[in-house]
Amino acid sequence: MSTTTQTAAPAQASPLASSTAFRTFATVFAIATPIVYVICEMANWPLFTYHPGTDRLNLGWAPAVKDEGPAMYWYGWIASTLLGAGALGLFAVKLPESATRRIPLALVWIAPLAAVPILIYALRFFWRW
Amino acid sequence: MDAVYDYISVNTFWTILFIVHALLAVALLGALSHQAMSVLMRTRQAAGPAGFVTRFTAVHGPSYATAVCVLWIATFIFGAWIYTKYRIYIRIPLEQDGFWKTQGAFEMKEHLATIGLGLLPIYWYFWKNARNVDYDSARKWLTVTLAAMCWYMFLTGHIVNNVRGFGS
Repeated sequence: MSTTTQTAAPAQASPLASSTAFRTFATVFAIATPIVYVICEMANWPLFTYHPGTDRLNLGWAPAVKDEGPAMYWYGWIASTLLGAGALGLFAVKLPESATRRIPLALVWIAPLAAVPILIYALRFFWRW
Repeated sequence: MDAVYDYISVNTFWTILFIVHALLAVALLGALSHQAMSVLMRTRQAAGPAGFVTRFTAVHGPSYATAVCVLWIATFIFGAWIYTKYRIYIRIPLEQDGFWKTQGAFEMKEHLATIGLGLLPIYWYFWKNARNVDYDSARKWLTVTLAAMCWYMFLTGHIVNNVRGFGS
């Protein structure tokens, strides 16, 4: 019979939660996402276009084809945004910590809020009375 | 998908996906509302028994973080999946009936869902370092921002479903 006392091991913190590189990546990714998304939406830069009527994909922007239903750009904007913001986040990780520490953390919630009025303006086609 | 359609109708399949999307959204809304209220209204030790508001806000915020991220991503995936059907079977009739503002509100919902997706890594990081006071302010307002986005998306989804949901 074992005489050792078994105690519950303390919960291990995720390595990501203590990673400075992850913090830098996540901070820049959060700030860049609304900015890149607004640019992609307003300039209409989807990575690809999806045609749900025919289940077809086109690289980049493509117009709707007559009698084949609408074209969808949202998926392409998401892909463009994730790639763009991800690239900026990875670039920031390569910068010295003294530089990345200076990024104001408040931007992670100010940037998305600032994007809202711009997106409302971008959707002006729909605000008809 | 054809194998699934051998057992259930096409309508039933997409209805199930929509209901799963809606149920995930309810769970996400609840979790984010609790967490946002907990950072906005610090719970004080009451002399008597805790009331509804005290109990609502007295949640352990960090334990919600991973669940919120998983729920946001899962809700997003189901929403993006059923979005193809929305584009053809819902939006086109909405256009024909002139529900422009409803469509605009829904477009805004998809924009916010994507932007929220990009906020999740830092949101998770802040909550996993909940004892670091340097992150207190950013964590608080980021959580409130995500909760506000979630409420907007939830209500807009409801409105669109009311305009052209089941049986329409």
